[in-house]
This record gives sequence, structure tokens and C-alpha cells, in this order.
Amino acid sequence: MIVAEHLRKTFPAKGKDKAPVVAVDDVGFEARDGEITGLLGPNGAGKTTTLRMLYTLMRPESGRVLVDGTDVAADAEAARRALGVLPDARGVYKRLTARENIRYFGELHGLDAATIEARTRALSTALQMDDFLDRQTEGFSQGQRTKTAIARALVHDPRNVILDEPTNGLDVMTTRGLRDFLRHLRGEGRCVIFSSHIMQEVAALCDRIVVIAHGRVVAQGTADELRAQTGEPNLEDAFVRLIGTEEGLHA
Amino acid sequence: MKATFSSMKTIVQKELREFIRDRRTLMLALVLGPLLTPAIMLGILTLAESRAKSQIEKPLDVPMVGVEHAPNLVAFLAAQGIHRKAFSGDLDTAIRTQVEDVYVRIPGDFAKDWHEGQPAMVEIVHDSTRQDSDIPVKRIEAALQQYGQQVGALRLLARGLNPGVAAPLAVTHKDLSTPEARRGMVMAFLPYLLILSAFLGGAYLIIDTTAGERERQSLEPLLATPARRGAVVSGKIAAACIVGVTSLLLTLLAFKTGAQFSPGIGRQMDVSMPAIGKMLLILLPMLFIGTSLLTFIAAGAKSVKEAQSYMSVLMLLPMIPTIALMVSPVKNQLWMFAVPFLAQNQMLLKVVRGEEIAMPMWGVYLLAGFGLALVLWFAATRRYHQERLAISA
Repeated sequence: MIVAEHLRKTFPAKGKDKAPVVAVDDVGFEARDGEITGLLGPNGAGKTTTLRMLYTLMRPESGRVLVDGTDVAADAEAARRALGVLPDARGVYKRLTARENIRYFGELHGLDAATIEARTRALSTALQMDDFLDRQTEGFSQGQRTKTAIARALVHDPRNVILDEPTNGLDVMTTRGLRDFLRHLRGEGRCVIFSSHIMQEVAALCDRIVVIAHGRVVAQGTADELRAQTGEPNLEDAFVRLIGTEEGLHA
Repeated sequence: MKATFSSMKTIVQKELREFIRDRRTLMLALVLGPLLTPAIMLGILTLAESRAKSQIEKPLDVPMVGVEHAPNLVAFLAAQGIHRKAFSGDLDTAIRTQVEDVYVRIPGDFAKDWHEGQPAMVEIVHDSTRQDSDIPVKRIEAALQQYGQQVGALRLLARGLNPGVAAPLAVTHKDLSTPEARRGMVMAFLPYLLILSAFLGGAYLIIDTTAGERERQSLEPLLATPARRGAVVSGKIAAACIVGVTSLLLTLLAFKTGAQFSPGIGRQMDVSMPAIGKMLLILLPMLFIGTSLLTFIAAGAKSVKEAQSYMSVLMLLPMIPTIALMVSPVKNQLWMFAVPFLAQNQMLLKVVRGEEIAMPMWGVYLLAGFGLALVLWFAATRRYHQERLAISA
């Protein structure tokens, strides 16, 4: 369970006498266990910055983040243990095999070899990566790299999973497989947050949708609630009405 | 604390594994570098030595102009191994075009002055900016001086005077340098070489695992793990230091092997095992300083390219004390052993020259060296805590 309350983050502006750029302003939402929460918004809306505050890479200027009920500012390390994170940056180590990449993160989480081995086997099966698990990741396809990055992010069996645009650059088959995997995570009772700028994807997968535009939450709720709120029968039209542009509709 | 050490160990292992799998870089860092530098250095020194030897001992053929005016002088020079060489054409041009190193000119009124007992002029013509002419010019000068003194003494004797009257001073040299110290002179630039490879020995690994990891977008996931930032920095620095120490050890061993094969030079520097051990100990703080400083720089740089461009500046740093000492040599004082680069330079020279290093010097040196390394390490750790470090785009 992840709760964000009144998050705000600004970045210093380049050049003199310019106002700081407000990336995220008063963003708050609740992501429950056993649900998939989607952060939907056009490029540059502040999704990645919001997520970075959730997984303690950035410190919010105001507001707070609660992971499983504890404030992440108080104990960032404990929060990181409770989170599995696929950041926007998902570089894997080219000279290590996929298995070694996963093991590296497992060891950093303080897991013992047997646990890492068992988790790797389980994730490899779930993500269908058996045939490239022991290859060096140099020359991996985008999909193989993403799967490796997801597996290493989840090696410590976290209750909460944050994925920043996980389907970016993946083909249709891999995307479908990934969606099944996310539903599988939800089925295990985990709290899953993922961000996307693609409306169809969020609609297909999410129990709750948080629409972000220009650093603010413009609406949140289930797909039906969003339709009801905007009075549009079609989710796509609802989205356009909410963010005020047609940006991000084209997958 | 235990968790921090275990994360550090994990990071060291992973960085070293990646480094070892990068075969070409491994070859460059651990084989080519440590072999090539001693080979080049010993080669150059052997070459210089053999050239100097041949120039001093071999008969010297020098063009001479106006030999008919001073046949006795020419005969004397020939007896000293300086022979006349036939040459046609303009000799000044030959010097300028570097065809000849030096020539001797005896003017027409030499015989007249000689007979009248006036100082008779002999000219040595050369280009002083050319190193090649140094030794021949000195040899001719010495021979001419000797001839002048001999004839002068004879003239005094002929007038019934003691030649000693005209030589009120008897200047001689008494060389008190130890044989070990004479070795040291040849190796004046060995310290620079060693300091440089200690200072920047871990550079590749540090830049690659800091700025490089960020550029390859793997730093953000790494920093999202529970591993402490301090452990991440220390692990990377430790991995670079292991590579650096290995490379230094190989360099020193290559010097040792090279010294055994190169007879002249081998006897000119102390390459015994205790000396190598001392040199490693001296270079250890430098290694820590270098890798911590580079981590600090690389963590602040926007790209690998930017981090690498600091290297050319950093390469100059160890040169400063070596050059300063060349220009104005100063006596060793205790404070010097607290100044980075200068301290290493002085300590290494002492080891190479086979001198004892007093305990207070070791104390000041190690304290100052590791102290600075600690400060830089702390600064690097602080930089790793910055938010913008992890953000690659």
C-alpha cells in the first residue's frame, strides 16, 4: 500500500531571474494492495518525478509518502526494501548475464544465495526468460532488457511494485505478456503502480486511474468514475477532456 | 555496519567481474601499461648511456680550417683522438643544416701571434642549442686547454720560472655521492611515472562505473536498492584501488625484471623486494587520493566525456613538484612530506637512492596522505547523496 500526500517538487530554472520549474504540485493518491494503479498523463506531466519521490530517489519539498503505513522520509532504506522499482532508466550491465544482473541486486538486498536462486527461477518462468537467462546482456533486445530489469527489481519479493512506463518500446506480444505478469502480481495481493502515457494501456489494465497533467492530479478513480465525472461515454474522450489536449492518445 | 560491508563486497566483486570480462581494457591496464612504460624507460636510458659512452671514447673526426697555420696543435689533437676530417664547402652552413656538429677554425694570424707570444685564437664553431654537439665540444675544449697549459708551462720554464707561479689555484673535485645516489640521478623521472600511474591507475574503472553507469542508465536502479550510498561509493573506490595496486605491482616487477636484463641501468636503481614493498606503501595513499578525487569529479560530471576531459589536467598535477624541484632544488624538510605529489616524489627518490626514511617522515607522510584521501572520500560520498546524480537524462 502506497499513499502519496500533497507532493510538490520544483527544479531550479536554467539561467538568471527565471522562476523555478514546478514539476509536481500537490499530487496525492492512494494505491491499494491487490490493485493496479495507473498514473496516466502526457509526456512531461510529472509522472516520472512523482514516481521518483515514491521510491525515495528524490525528496519532496512538501508532502509525504507512506509505504505500508510508514513515512519514507523517516526510513528510506526500509521503504526501498518494501518496494520493487523499475525506473525510467533501466540499463542492465552488459558484461554480466541476465542471471548475474538479478543476483547482483539480490545480494544488494541482503538475500542469501539459495533465496536468490529460487526467486530467479520463479521470475524467469513468470517472465518467460529461460532461454536467455544465462546469456550476457550485450545485444539483448529491448524486451529482453526490460524483462531482466523487472526481474532484478522484484528479486526481493516486494509487497509494492512501481514500474515507470514498463511497456515503452516493447512489441505487441511482449506487451501482452507483461500485462499478464502485472495481473499475476495483482493476484498475489501486491500493490502495483505503473505509469503510462498510453490511454488504452491504462484502460486495459488498471483498477484505478490517476490522471496527471502539468504536475497536478486532474482526476482519479475507476474508469467508470472518470467517465461519469466527465460525462463522456468513451474513456478516450474523457481523457482528452481531463488533460485539455489530445496529447498522448496515440499509442 | 555488517550490511554496509556486505554491500561493499558485492559491489567490489561485481565491478571486478565486469572489468575482467572486458578483455581489451584488462590487457591495456594490466599488461600493456605495466610492461610498456618500464620497457620504454629502460630502452631510452640504455640508448642514452651507450651513446654517451661512444661519444666519449670513440675517435672524433672534426673538420678543421686553417690547419697549415698550426701543425703542432693539429698533431696534438690527433694524439688525443681528435682527427681532422676532410670537408669541402661552407662549414657554417653545414653546422646550420646539422650536417656537422662542430668544427675548429684556426685563423691566419695564429702563427704570427704564436711566435710573438700573444694569445693565439682558436675557434670552436657549433650550435649550442643542439644536444648532439655537447660532448664533442667539451672534448675539443678540454684538449685545447690541455695543450695551452702544456705550452704555457714550457714557456715559463724556458724563461727560468716555476710554472706553478701561473697556477695559484689547484681546483679538484671530490665526489661524495654514494653509488646508490648516483643510481638515483638516472632515475629522476621514475617518481613521476610511478606517481602518475598510482594517481590515475584506477581512472578507467572509476569513470566507467560512475559517469559511465549513469550514461548507461544503470545508476538509478542501483541507487533505488537499499544499499547505502556510502557502501556503493566505497565499493567502487575499493574495486578501482585493487586494479590500481595490481597494475602498480606489475609495473614495479617489470622494472625489476627489466633491470636484470639491462646491465648498465640495472645497477643504477634499487629494485630489491624491500624497496618495491616500500614504494608500494608510499604509493598507496596516492592511489586512494586519485580514485576518491576521480569519483568526486565523475559524480559531478554530466557525461563520461566531461569526466575524461579532466584527465589531461590531472596528469599535469604530479609533474609540478618534479619540475619545481628541477628548477630550484630545495633541501628535504618535514613539511614537504605532507604536501601531496611533492611528498611522494621525495619519498620515492629516497627509496630509489637507497636512503633511510626516518620514522617521523613516515608518520607525517602516511597521516597526511590517508587524511587527504579520507577527506576526498567523504566529499565523493556527499556527491553520491545528491539527487541529480542518479538522473541520467
